[in-house]
Amino acid sequence: MKSANLAMHELREAVMRIPADKITADRTSALARLGAGELPTLRHEDWKYTDLRPAVDISNRWLAAGASNSHPDSLDATISGIRQSIEANWLVIANGVVDTSQFDAAAGVRLQRFSESSPPENPATPLSDLNVALLADGVRLEVHAATEKPIGLLIIDSSESAVTVSQANLAIEIAAGCDAEIIEYQSSSGEFDNYCNSSITLQIDEGAKARYVRIQDRDVRHTHTARLDVRAGAGSELDMAGYDIGGGLVRNDVDIELNQPGANVRFNGLYLAGDGQHIDNHTRVDHKVGPASSFQEYRGILNGKCRCVWNGKAVVHKGADGTDANQANHNLLLSDKAEIDAKPELEIYADEVKCSHGTTVGQLDKQALFYLRTRGLNRAEAKQLLTHAFAADLVRRAPVAAARDTVAALVNRKLSALTENDPL
Amino acid sequence: MLEIKNLKARIGDTEILRGLSLSVAAGEVHAIMGPNGSGKSTLAQVIAGHEDYVVTAGEVNYQGSSLLGLDPEIRAREGIFLGFQYPVEIAGVNNAYLLKAAVNAKRQHQGLDEIDAFEFLKLAREKMALLHMDPKFLNRGVNEGFSGGEKKRNEILQMAMLEPKLAILDETDSGLDIDALKAVAEGVNALRDPERAIVLVTHYQRLLDYIEPDHVHVLSKGRIVRSGDKSLALELEEKGYDWVREAASG
Repeated sequence: MKSANLAMHELREAVMRIPADKITADRTSALARLGAGELPTLRHEDWKYTDLRPAVDISNRWLAAGASNSHPDSLDATISGIRQSIEANWLVIANGVVDTSQFDAAAGVRLQRFSESSPPENPATPLSDLNVALLADGVRLEVHAATEKPIGLLIIDSSESAVTVSQANLAIEIAAGCDAEIIEYQSSSGEFDNYCNSSITLQIDEGAKARYVRIQDRDVRHTHTARLDVRAGAGSELDMAGYDIGGGLVRNDVDIELNQPGANVRFNGLYLAGDGQHIDNHTRVDHKVGPASSFQEYRGILNGKCRCVWNGKAVVHKGADGTDANQANHNLLLSDKAEIDAKPELEIYADEVKCSHGTTVGQLDKQALFYLRTRGLNRAEAKQLLTHAFAADLVRRAPVAAARDTVAALVNRKLSALTENDPL
Repeated sequence: MLEIKNLKARIGDTEILRGLSLSVAAGEVHAIMGPNGSGKSTLAQVIAGHEDYVVTAGEVNYQGSSLLGLDPEIRAREGIFLGFQYPVEIAGVNNAYLLKAAVNAKRQHQGLDEIDAFEFLKLAREKMALLHMDPKFLNRGVNEGFSGGEKKRNEILQMAMLEPKLAILDETDSGLDIDALKAVAEGVNALRDPERAIVLVTHYQRLLDYIEPDHVHVLSKGRIVRSGDKSLALELEEKGYDWVREAASG
């Protein structure tokens, strides 16, 4: 049985080895909290479907081997490929090492390293503590004017020659009245185990607008936990969509706080899982005041022996009248070995609210298959067409136009892989 | 073109077709009428190759060879078209994409090259004009949010694009108002051809005011109990299906 506990002694030593800078105090207190508490286990309600022990195990092996991080040259080809496929102002974090050399900080975005300023307040969770304790450096981005290109955040890992563990931490603020487009791209490769733990905070100030695309195309053997904490200001807007294509063990937490009136947020997600993959999407929206709206639509396509989780929680706090909260989760199971745990949760403590949720789990519609076959498509073609159709809408609505072709290509590639060699 | 002999078919444990025989020649329009539950739609689905129906006896020959055991897509590529009573909505699949895929599946089967994109659009627009369909339907999801009339027109559009040798139109008139009915009938009439056979499956005589059949058959309890010319449809309209049931049992 793999251990649920981090090797604290080695962890402490690894933290001590990081040169002193403006993050040091935060590292020390995060480490103290980790020592006093424990990482979530299956006994925690929010983690009952996702076992973090593989992440702990990879971390312990990496710590035992000296806990080193470096930007390997072998990643450069992949990085330049991604940069070529999506036109954006790219910031790269490779194996946890921040690289701002390609980032144009003059183009409406101010950039500051945590090590040279101060780290932002991080969410009080054990994984965030792990992130901060081991954080080599993080970046604060402040959008203060119009940006010509989307901001690209490439978080990439390689485990070609050894087990690797990395922490990525970014704090983005979109100043009042500004519009910003953000593309987060998670990628990894390598034979050895890799665990990447990322944490991003996004603050959308009054009247600002954010369009955000998250692409997760990690190696299907690798482990990934990702937090995104959004705070939406008065009259602000968020249009976001996440695409989980890869990853072996993946846990996404999206927490959105609406604490000013007039915010409208939409966040969608598409997860495509095949043999051996485990993709867990936990979302939480806190409607603290009204009027405000939140819409989420997550869709999953599962084939082979895999498991996905969607847990969408909306909390409408006392007094948050005028809240409009909608959740939808639809799943297509192409195999009887695939498992989905779908759980919508609404907690409503206000009176004047409009809330809805709906979850469906199903197979391909037999009548639709027959219909397509009577039009001359063979069974495999008909299945492919219907499977692509299930995802098509979320792909078409990718909020950042510059990322749309790449999203479509990745989704198509994955769906073709999921549906080919399928027993007819 | 189509020869059906003593066809018996069931779905689950329920026998629906109980010894049906029918002969349809090229150039002819046949109407199959009958009360609900008489087996009209089952006949259409069996000819198209629906897997839920099991043929237990009899023959279905098309252009001299048996259809039984062929996949529905092979039947389609060989020139059989089924117009659905309830066309399926497929959100996310572009109407033009499906039309083109269908046309190309057939062309490939015939050893032809894929249709040229420009040629395809031109052809589709032509056929849509004939059916009084707005060209914007090409870019919508297949039948997605279409009204009943629009769905049926879309079926006829597919038929017009695929130019089948044998078209079976299952309750194409159901749910249509008079204008939609006329447009659909006009589309079907434009496709009448000495090389093509059309089988209209319908509950009501109304459609036959606009598409004149050469032969009318009355189906009851899975068998054709009467055949005649178009006057049989009028007789049915007047006397109702009870008359057939009595005739069948008597």
